[in-house]
Amino acid sequence: MTRLRFHVRTVWLTITLCASPLAVAAPKPAKAGLAQIVAALDGADDEAAARAADTLGDRTEPAAHEALLDALAWGTSPVVAVEVIAAVAKHPAPPDLAALRRYAGHHDPRIRAAALGALASYADPAARAAIAAGLRDPEASVRAAAASAAARGHVAAAIDPLLALLGLGEEPAARALAAMADPELVRRIGDQLGKVPEPALALCLGLVLQRADFGPDSERVEVVRALAKIKDPAADGALADYLRATPKTPARESRAEAEKLVQARTGGATP
Amino acid sequence: MTRASLVRPSRHMRFPWVAVALVALVESVPGCGGATFQLAAQDNDRGALTAALAQRHLSDQPAPINAARVPRAFVALGGPRKQVVAYDLGAGKLLWRQPADVASRIAVGGSFVVELEGKQLVARDQTTGAITWHVDVPGAFVGVAADRDRAYVVWSAGDTSIGGGSGTVAAYDGATGSELWHERADGALGAPAAQGGVVYVPYLSQWLSLVDGATGKQLARLRGLDEQISMLRVTSTDAFYGSKQGVFHLDATSASGSRKGGTYASVTVPAQLEHTQYGVDAYDPVQSGYSAADRARVLWSGMLGAGGYAVHYFRFVFGFDANGAMTWAYSHPRTELVASDDTGAAIIAISQAGDVIALDPKTGVVRLDRAIGTSEPVLGATFDADGWTPPEPARTAADQDRARDPQAATIDALVAIARDHDARFDRVKQLAVQALAKLPGGEVTRELLDVLADPRAPDKLKGDVVDLLVERRDPASLPVLAAQLATHDDFIAKTTPAALGPIAKAIAGLAGLQLDHEAVASALAALQSQLDAPATQVPDLVPVIAAMAAIGGGAERAALVSHLLLYHADDAIGGDPAWAHAIVTALEDHGSPAEREILRAVAADPKTRPALRDALH
Repeated sequence: MTRLRFHVRTVWLTITLCASPLAVAAPKPAKAGLAQIVAALDGADDEAAARAADTLGDRTEPAAHEALLDALAWGTSPVVAVEVIAAVAKHPAPPDLAALRRYAGHHDPRIRAAALGALASYADPAARAAIAAGLRDPEASVRAAAASAAARGHVAAAIDPLLALLGLGEEPAARALAAMADPELVRRIGDQLGKVPEPALALCLGLVLQRADFGPDSERVEVVRALAKIKDPAADGALADYLRATPKTPARESRAEAEKLVQARTGGATP
Repeated sequence: MTRASLVRPSRHMRFPWVAVALVALVESVPGCGGATFQLAAQDNDRGALTAALAQRHLSDQPAPINAARVPRAFVALGGPRKQVVAYDLGAGKLLWRQPADVASRIAVGGSFVVELEGKQLVARDQTTGAITWHVDVPGAFVGVAADRDRAYVVWSAGDTSIGGGSGTVAAYDGATGSELWHERADGALGAPAAQGGVVYVPYLSQWLSLVDGATGKQLARLRGLDEQISMLRVTSTDAFYGSKQGVFHLDATSASGSRKGGTYASVTVPAQLEHTQYGVDAYDPVQSGYSAADRARVLWSGMLGAGGYAVHYFRFVFGFDANGAMTWAYSHPRTELVASDDTGAAIIAISQAGDVIALDPKTGVVRLDRAIGTSEPVLGATFDADGWTPPEPARTAADQDRARDPQAATIDALVAIARDHDARFDRVKQLAVQALAKLPGGEVTRELLDVLADPRAPDKLKGDVVDLLVERRDPASLPVLAAQLATHDDFIAKTTPAALGPIAKAIAGLAGLQLDHEAVASALAALQSQLDAPATQVPDLVPVIAAMAAIGGGAERAALVSHLLLYHADDAIGGDPAWAHAIVTALEDHGSPAEREILRAVAADPKTRPALRDALH
C-alpha cells in the first residue's frame, strides 16, 4: 500500500506542479509505534483517524510527516482531511505545498479554510497566490480564513482583494488589513472613505490604532484624523476604544487628538 | 330552412363533393342569382379559360400598374390624423399626403387609387391625391380591386357567413366613377382581384369566376376540386389563386380544377412561423383591410418555390431556397413590418415607423432602407412596384461589407432575432438559433453561447441552444467553447461560470472529430480548471469529466485520477452515483497498469463511498 500511495502522490504532484523537478523523498521506515498510528489514519473510523493525524503532526520524524502527505494524496473524508492539513502545517516543508494547494480547491469549505490557514505558514509565492485567490471564494467562511491567512503571512498580493472586500463591508477583510497595515497602507485605507461602508472602515482604522507595533505616533495621528472624517458612530466607538486602551501618560499627540474629537462629537463626555 | 340556404355551402366547407352535389340539386332551379354567378354555369372549360386569359392586357415584363410606370407605395397612416400617402420608391420622395380614414386595402389603377372610407368607395388622383369621385357601397364591404381603367368592388347583403345573403360585384370607370355594371350572386363572393381588364371573383369558396371587366359577363369559371379557392394574388404578369394549403398559377391547366392537373405548388414554412399565409383570405372581413395577417406572408415571384421564396413574419424576413432550407434572414430593428411584396427583383416592405426596406431576394442583403418621413404609424400599404430593382447599396462601409458577405449579414440578423426580448417571438427565436446552429464557425458558437448567458433569454430557448450546441459538432468551435470556461466563481468580480454543463456537453460532442492539438490542450486545461474549482457542482462535474475523457486522448487521465482520489471518501461527491459512474467510465478503459492498480485499491478502501464502490465493481 505504501508503494501505491507513493505512486499516487507522484501522480497528482505531476499534475499540480506541472512536472516540476521537485523530488518526492521515498518514505523512510517507520519507527516502532508509528505504523499503528498510520494504520489508524488510513482506517474507516474518522474519529480515530483524526486523532492519529493530530498525533502524527506532533511527531518530528520525517516519516510521520510523509504519512500525513500520503493521506492527503490518497484522499480521505472531509473531517479527517481538516485534521491532516492542520497536522501537516505544524512542521511546514516545501513538499507540503502542492497538497495544500490541491485542498485549497476542495469543494468542502471547511477543508478549503483549513488549507488556506495552513498555507499562511509557507513563504512560497504559490502559497501566497492561493491565499489571495481564496479571498474570491464564494463562501464567507473561506474568505475569512483567507483574510486571516493573508494577515498572518503578510501577503502583499492580498491587499487589493482585501480592499475590495472592505468595500463589500466584510469584517474579516477589515481585520486583516488592520493587521497588515503600514503607514502607506493606512493612507490607502483612509482614501477608501466614501467608497466603502463606514462601519467597516472605522473598524479597520480603529484596529490599526490599537496595534502597539504601529507608529510612530505621528502616523497614529493620521489614523485618528482619518477616523474623524467618518460620520458613522462606529468611528466614535473606535476612538473611544483607543482612549480606553491608551494610558494618559506619557502624553501622546494621537491620544490628545482622539480625546478632542470624542469630546467634540459627544458633547464633552469622554470614556 | 329556405331553398337558398340549402344551396349555399359555408365558406368553411371542407368537402367539395358536397358542393358538387348541391350544384346538381339546384341546376334545375330557376332564378338563382344574376346572369354571371349561376351555380349551374359551366366549370373548368379549358377553351373558355384559355380565351379569358388571352383577353387580359398584360405587360410583357413585370412593371407597375400605374400609368407612369413608376414604382410607388400607397400607405395608410393611423394616429389622430389619419391619412393616405403616396410615395415614389424610385425617387425616394413623398408624392402627396391627404387626410383619409382608410378602411380597406388601397387598390391601384392607372391614374387613380381607390379605397373605402366610411361607407364610401373613394377614388383619388394618383398624382395629387385629390378625390376624383366617390360612391356609396350599398352593403357590407368585402373587397376592392382595380386595373388600369376600372375599379371593382364586392359587397354582401344578408348574412353570407351562415350560407344566406348575397354578394354583388360592381365596376366603376376609374376616371369618372360612373357605374359600368354590377352583378349579383346568390351566396358569398370573396374580395376580387383585377388584371388587365379581367376581374377574378371568388365565389362560395369553391369557384373562381373570370369576369369581363368591361361588361360584367363571366368569361370562364374554375371550380376547385381538391381545395377551396380563398386566396388571390395578381402581379403585372401573373395571377395566382389557392388557399392556405397551396397556390395554383392561373393558366390553361387550371381548367383541370385539381392540384395534379394544374400548375400547383406549396412551400415549406417552418412551424415556428405559424399562421403564415400565401395571401389575403378573400372571405375574411378583417382582411378586407390592412391587418395583422399582412405581417405573416409567403413572398414569391414567378412560379412559387421554383427559385426560392421568402417569408415575412412581423419584424423578420427569412429567405428559403427551393428545397425549403433557410438561406438568409433579416431582422428589422424595433418596429414591425406591416406590409411586404416581392417585386421579382426585390423583397420590399414598410415598417410601422415608415421605413421602406428592399432586400435582395437571393441573399437578403439590404439594398434600400429609407424613411418615408412620417411620424404617424403606418397601418398598411399597397405596393405598385412590380419589377422594380432598387439601387445598389452604397451607404456606409459597414453596409458595403455586409453586402459583400451576405452570410455575415444573415448571422447578424439571426443573432438579433435570437437575442430579441419580445416574448411574442419566442418560437421565431427558436427558428433563428436552429438556423444559426447550421452555420459553421466559432463566431456562431460564440453567439449561441451568448444566448445561454443572456439572463432574459427564455429557458426553453436556452434548452434548445444546449441541444444545438451538442449536435453542432463543429471543430472550429472548440477554442470558443474553451474560452467560455475561463470564467470562474469570483465573489469580488461577481462572476460565475455560465452554462458550464452545456459547454462541456458540446465539447464532448466533438469526440472523434479531427481537432487541433493546441485547441485540445487549451480545452483540457480549461476543463480541468472547472473540475478543480470548488464551486463546481456535481451536475456540472459529470459532463466536465465526460468532456475531458472524450477529447483528452489519455492526457486527461492523471487529472481524473487525482480527482477520483480527492473525492472517493467524500459523501457529497464520492457518494453521488452520477459522479461515480462518470469518473469510473472515464477511467476504466485504456488505463495503465498503475492506474488499474489505483482503481482496485480505491475499490478496496473502506473509506470509499458505496456509490463509487458499486460503480467500480
